[in-house]
Amino acid sequence: MSDALSPPMASEGAAFGASATGVPLLQLANVTKRFGGLAAVDDLSFSVCQGEILGIIGPNGAGKSTLVGLIGGALTPSAGRIVYQGQDISRRAANQRSQRGIARTFQVAQPFVGLNILENVMVGALFGRQRLNRVEALRIAHEVLERVGLAQKATLKGNELTTADRKRLEMARALATKPELLLLDEVMAGLNHTEVAQAVTLIREINQSGVTILVIEHIMRAIVGVSNRILVLHHGRKIAEDLPEQVLSDPAVIEAYLGERYAKQHQSSQMIQRQLALDLGSPDVLMGEPEQKEERK
Amino acid sequence: MGTDLDLQTPPATKAPSPVPRASRSWLWSLLIGLGILGLIGMVPLTGDISDLHTWTLILMFCVLAQSWNFIGGFTGYAAFGNVAFFGIGAYSVAILLNDHQPFWLGLIVGALIAGLFAFLLGLPVLRLKGHYFAIATLGVAEALREFSAIQNIGGPGGEVSVPFPGAGAYPTLFYVFFFAFLALALACLIITILLTRSKFGYALVAIRENEQAAEALGIATYRYKIAAFVLSAIPTGLAGGLYAYFASGFDPPTVFDVGISVEMVLLTFLGGAGTILGPVIGAIIFEYGSFQLLTSGFSAHNTLLGLAIVIITIFLPQGLVRLVEALFYKPAPGAVRTNRLREGVRRVRRFIAANGI
Repeated sequence: MSDALSPPMASEGAAFGASATGVPLLQLANVTKRFGGLAAVDDLSFSVCQGEILGIIGPNGAGKSTLVGLIGGALTPSAGRIVYQGQDISRRAANQRSQRGIARTFQVAQPFVGLNILENVMVGALFGRQRLNRVEALRIAHEVLERVGLAQKATLKGNELTTADRKRLEMARALATKPELLLLDEVMAGLNHTEVAQAVTLIREINQSGVTILVIEHIMRAIVGVSNRILVLHHGRKIAEDLPEQVLSDPAVIEAYLGERYAKQHQSSQMIQRQLALDLGSPDVLMGEPEQKEERK
Repeated sequence: MGTDLDLQTPPATKAPSPVPRASRSWLWSLLIGLGILGLIGMVPLTGDISDLHTWTLILMFCVLAQSWNFIGGFTGYAAFGNVAFFGIGAYSVAILLNDHQPFWLGLIVGALIAGLFAFLLGLPVLRLKGHYFAIATLGVAEALREFSAIQNIGGPGGEVSVPFPGAGAYPTLFYVFFFAFLALALACLIITILLTRSKFGYALVAIRENEQAAEALGIATYRYKIAAFVLSAIPTGLAGGLYAYFASGFDPPTVFDVGISVEMVLLTFLGGAGTILGPVIGAIIFEYGSFQLLTSGFSAHNTLLGLAIVIITIFLPQGLVRLVEALFYKPAPGAVRTNRLREGVRRVRRFIAANGI
């Protein structure tokens, strides 16, 4: 457990994640979730520190979305404990967790299509952690929409948005609950480079305002640029938990992502790292030099 | 693209736009609703007792649809057993009247029992979703019908006759019932408007649109669903109580008629489920048409009604009110504003195309 609790390394020079304190906000202890005979999450233990951005990656079927469901409260663990702010919340309903400051987004955006964008976000402010009245909720909803860049579309219906805007709406709605811990379930999937860069900026801003963030992604390229630490899941188990650079060169991770044969062929870790960066998209690519992307071919 | 620069400017926003005003569409709904109910309120001026009778029943269906709208329209839970509350209200009034208790006591007791029954029933059935919920509620109404018949509630086979006040009061009393149902419809209209403007209302709509997301945003969905079910049961119970006195007698198949449950659903969907005016407009159009057909002696009356149901579900799944709303719908400020009429026509065409016609 001690290594799970260790704070992010001091070498983190970036502007983001500066508020990481090393105080654990959320702890998972030996959490298992079985669906029938299949363990989607298997004996998983880790901690999220107050103020940090923890990235969670893994190939398809690694148990990432199950994990979000477990922390958010949509699912209850088959075994193990989930401790949030020192309290065991393993059996709490999702709405109670939201009221305690855990907000989540959904991998497939789930807007309230009968309501417009503003009202969608208002629901988060009306309930969630703040439980505001209508007037206050309207103001907060508008503020949040300004923040995520949806203010111009406030009167559209939930089903009239592009993929990128739907992801923004998911984040806006979660933010309106005024969370302390934000679970982002693949908010960058399906976005183009510009949109990913915008999302990364937004995630950093949210983190700087004091929100601890758990970023779950299938693709590495976005998460490497935004996370303080990265945890890699494979078949529901943790196979690595380290700084982004370390995770990229971890043989177990490469094997999980690219297959065993590939890992053996490229013994030189430096070479692997470069190859991986090109294959999966490196932080540099992410930061938006489109020429680099062209060089791949 | 320098990251430091990005941190300063939020993405995709230029100048801060003003905080939008809350929608005022409820005010229109209130005015139109008051206008419709006001016009109906003039029916007694004609002095025709049979017209009065017809409109009293239309208003009753108005109330039934309006109260079904709370659970079925706003919360999105297709309750097919709401006639149970109607029957409970009717039996409460009948039993207490036969016990020489005042009418108003029976009315209040009926509404309370209906509410309590909805609460107790809601505890198990509101854990169910979709079809399962619909079937469970349907079963409960049927069970109550059988129960009142077998247990001889109120009389042999559940048949009750209610002492009708003295013959001298005969025409006056019809006016009283008419205005009682009108007042109930007005009360439901006002409750619906308050609901759309309240936190409670937002919770219900969120549950309807996406229960999982609603739960994740901190809404205690189970409690809100039960509250909506109770809210839906109380006016239904009141309407049942009024009906019992108005009809001066009934039997279990009349007040626990599944057809009434189906009509609640149909009227609400015709007008627009989850809208303020939908149930009122749906009830007036459909029930008036139905009574006209019935009195004209047209033998295929029920066939035509069935056809109407099919046409409604194909062409107007969103209801009449939503169709009108779509014509007035404003696109985003940034979007290109085309001719509103053309936009509306395109919307309707898309609507029809989407339904496979």
